[in-house]
Order: sequence, then C-alpha cells, then structure tokens
Amino acid sequence: MEKILQILSALRPEVNFQEHQKLIEDGILDSFDIITLIGELDEAFAIQIGVEDILPENFNSLEAIISLVERLQSEAE
Amino acid sequence: MAFTSLNFLLFIASVILVYFLVPKKYQWVILLLASYAYYWISANKLVVFLLFTTITTFYTGRFLGKSNEKHNHLLETNKDTLTKNQKKNLGAENKKRKKLILWIAVILNFGILAVIKYFNFFAGNFNALFSTLSINTTIPTFEFLLPLGISFYTFQSVGYVIDVYRGKIEPDRNIARFALFVSFFPQIVQGPISRYSQLASQLYESHQFEYTCVKFGAQLILWGFFKKMVIADRLAATVGSVFDGYQDYAGIQIFIGAVMYSLQVYCDFSGGIDIARGIAQIMGIDLAENFKRPFFAESISDFWRRWHISLSTWMRDYIFYPLSLSASAVKLGRTSRKILGTHLGKLFPTFLAMLITFLVVGIWHGASWKYVAYGLYNGVFIFAEVLFEPLVNKINKRFQINPKVFSWRLLNIIITFFLVSIGRYFSRAISFKTAVRMLYRTVATFDPYDLLDLKLLQMGMDPKDIYVLGGAVLILFIVGLLQERGISLREKLVEQNLVFRWSIYIAAIFSILVFGIYGIGFDPVSFIYMGF
Repeated sequence: MEKILQILSALRPEVNFQEHQKLIEDGILDSFDIITLIGELDEAFAIQIGVEDILPENFNSLEAIISLVERLQSEAE
Repeated sequence: MAFTSLNFLLFIASVILVYFLVPKKYQWVILLLASYAYYWISANKLVVFLLFTTITTFYTGRFLGKSNEKHNHLLETNKDTLTKNQKKNLGAENKKRKKLILWIAVILNFGILAVIKYFNFFAGNFNALFSTLSINTTIPTFEFLLPLGISFYTFQSVGYVIDVYRGKIEPDRNIARFALFVSFFPQIVQGPISRYSQLASQLYESHQFEYTCVKFGAQLILWGFFKKMVIADRLAATVGSVFDGYQDYAGIQIFIGAVMYSLQVYCDFSGGIDIARGIAQIMGIDLAENFKRPFFAESISDFWRRWHISLSTWMRDYIFYPLSLSASAVKLGRTSRKILGTHLGKLFPTFLAMLITFLVVGIWHGASWKYVAYGLYNGVFIFAEVLFEPLVNKINKRFQINPKVFSWRLLNIIITFFLVSIGRYFSRAISFKTAVRMLYRTVATFDPYDLLDLKLLQMGMDPKDIYVLGGAVLILFIVGLLQERGISLREKLVEQNLVFRWSIYIAAIFSILVFGIYGIGFDPVSFIYMGF
C-alpha cells in the first residue's frame, strides 16, 4: 500500500489519495496519468495490467488500485 | 430527412405515439422499424452497408462468446486434471482465437469505411507521387456514395466487438435487437457514438410514459433547435463567405471568420445532439452526453474532454490505451529510456501513442490532408501541455501564481479558445493549402483597425441578424455559465409556475420560428457532422 501511495503521490502530489473515491469519474486522473501509473505499477509489482483492466472501478480509489494489483499478483503466481 | 424538417417532426411524433401505444414488449420492435424506415427514407439502398456492419459485428460478437464458452467448458470439465501450465496454454489459445475473430470484424468494417471514405484520397496522393516520379501508372478513382452515419455506426459497432473481446460485456444473442443498437434513429446521423453497456439495455427495456421525461426531452429538443437554427445557420453564410473567398478579407476578418466557425460548428453539432438526446429522453432512453460546454475549457486537453466526448473517449479506450500498453510500446519505452533518460524516455511511447490517436481523430473527419493537420495540431498541443506541466507548476510555485483564481482561469479560457479557433482553419478551409494560405494572410495583413470595416458583417447578415445573433449568443453564454456552476436550468424551469413556464416555452418556440434560418424554399440547412 505504501508503495502504491508513493507512486500515486509522485504522479499527482496535490491529490490526497486516501480521501478520493472517484479518481476517474471526477477527472483527477486523466488518460495520460493512467498510462504512466500502469507503467509504474507493472514495474514495481512485476505484474501486467492489461487494457481490459482499465475500468473506472479499478482506478477510482487507492483501495481499488490496491485490490487490482493484489488480484493480478495472485493470478501471476 | 433532416432533423430540422417538418417531416422529421411529424415522423418522431408518430413514432413516439406508437411507441407508447403498443404493448410494452413490442416497444423495441417499433424503434427498430422506425430506425430502418428512417434510414431507408434518408439513404435508400445504402442500407445494405448498415446491414453488413450489423451482421458482421453481431456474428463476430457471437463467435467471441462461443470461444469463451468453449474455453470455460474445457476448464470446468478438466479442472481436476489440468496443470497450471496447461491452463495457461488453454488461455493463450483462447486469446489467439479471439484475436483472430476480432481482427476479422475490424478489417471487414474499417475496410469498408476505408474503401468508401478514403480510397480516393490515397489513390489521388499515390497518383500525384507517381506523376512526380514520372512513373506511368494511374490508380483509378471511383465515385462512392457515403452511407449515412457510416463513421458513427461503424465505430459504435466495432466498439461493441472490442468490448466483447475484452470480456467487458456479454455478446448479444438476438440479431434483431442488436440491429436496433446499431441503427437507433435519433443517433444514426451524427452520434453520439454510444457504448453497448450504456445504451443496449435501455433500448430493449420497456418504458412507461412519463410526463417528466417528455418535459425534459422536449426542452432539450427546443434548445437544440435554438442552437442550430438561430445561431449556427445564421452564421453559415458569413463563415462560408470568409472561407470560400478569404482573398477578399483582411487578416483580422479571416480570424473573426474562424471564431464564427468555431461557434457555428459547436451550435450545429451540439444542437443536433440535443435534438437526438431529447427525442430519446421522451421515450425514457438516456443517450450519452457529447458536449460539456467546450468553450469554457482551460486547455486543449480540457477542450477534448468536453468536445465530441463520445468520439474522444472511443479513441482513448480503443486506440490510445491499447497502443500505449502494447508490447511494442513497452519495448520502445526501454529503448527511449536509454536515449532520452528516465523521465522523457518513459513518456515517449505514450506521446507517440497520443499523436497517432489524434491523427486518427483527424482522419475520422474525412479523407484530406487538412484533417491530418487538424488532428496533429491538437495532438501537438496536448503533447506540449503534458510535457511542460511540471515546468508550469514550478513557475506557478516560484511566482506564487494561483491557477484556481478567476483571472488566471479566464486567461487560460481565452488562450484555449484562440488556439481552438486557429485549429478551425484546418477543419473548415477547403484544403490544407488553403488553410495555410489563410493563416499566412491572417498574420501578414493583421491590422485591428480592419475590424471597423463593416464588410465582414455585411456578408450574409443584416443589422437585424447581428442583434439576434448577439442576443442568442448571450443566452448561450449565460446558460453555459450557469451549467458550469452546477445549476440545472431545466430543473429550475420545471419548478416554476405553469404560466411562467409556458410563457418561456412559447417564447422559445416563437423565437425559433421567427429568428430561425431556413434555406431556399424553407428547406432546412444540413448538419455539418452529417457529412462525416
């Protein structure tokens, strides 16, 4: 979680990611941020987030991103 | 049958009447019949293209579903015996099969679009190249009739197949109902390009007659007519005169012509969409929003989040994301990191994907170099905005600039509007060359005093037109401003007393009838995006 929060904070330092629940729907993360974030997450957790995983419900909050990473990690094992 | 014709109004009135009169389980059938009747009346035999897309995307969707079923069945029946590796192999096999099916759908549908819309463009350019190189070969060109709404329904249908491929939705099992999703008449001409997950179930479900929906729908239709007939069509003559005979105009006048075109194309396109959404809303169907007050955008990226949203999100989901996450992009990222350093190298493949996406956005509009330039023009600005964002943030911090204050936002809105209007030179001029010449003339003969020359205002507009236009644009601006502040005028209006409410409706109807612009013999003026 710490690691994901670090990545997110580096991407958008002005956003309090622990509070926001609608990062996509409120336009806080744009398409460019999503691609950058996926690149960072793929690298940090040795996972491969596919285009089919880019759904608002997977990126709307810190918790959602954590569960996406955890799911992909368990699938990779 | 144009949206703004009396025939169309009679057509929708009859469809809505029958829609609510028939037993609920047949409502979708009425919509299907109405959609095909509308298409037949408007495009006649070209309906075969619509049928082709419907059939190919429906069956490829079904095949994708069957491939998944087969895969899941294999996993289920052999779950105790399959090793992890075998499961992985089966998954890869299914993916390969699905990819092949997807490509068949994409090639068939975009192939038709490419031939009809782009063949002559490529043939013409190759012929020019051959003649330059003194090669004695000519590729023949053909006169194709563009099927109504092909760029809209093809993208919508291919989007459906990709969503099935990605497992986002289950394939439709009823071809007649699916045919309705592809052909739904309010949106077939100029969109919005809907998503299956958002629209299909609404079309298939039954809907009760609801006075609130009728009220809101009718308001939206009226607002659409107002934008189209009072503003857009009033500007058409002046815009046409500037763009077709720019040599007669001075620099600033040409620029004003481009600004007017920005306004015209917005009112024309968004007006048409409002009419489409209003018709659907009366029947209890919500079509996706396509515009969110684009002229309040504070950057070009922000503009594209507010302008033709259904196209830009389509491009984002089906071109930008897959390109950015493709194996080639990852490979390119590794190489570019070595050459450009970590920060820029990481961004490089995404920038490239974005430029390609905007190139496609450009040529989606038509087969011409001017649209290529239009797409790239927008892509380059978005590229620059992302690239320089950290620097701008640093400067803001250093000079204690608060980007959220009104004055700063207003400045950004003005700059964005200016840049968007410059981009309109490319989308409206008759060719790329003309657009460049117009830009050159704008700069070379720029003199603010030319604004005092009444020539611009005399072209196609008399003083009455100018007053009406000024008033209408003011109304458009106030409504936009209130919506930007989260105030829904439609809801406010519904809350008012009956007399006041109806006074507003009657005033709106009369203003459209009196101040609306009609073509020769009171024919409606075509929509700009109908041509795409």
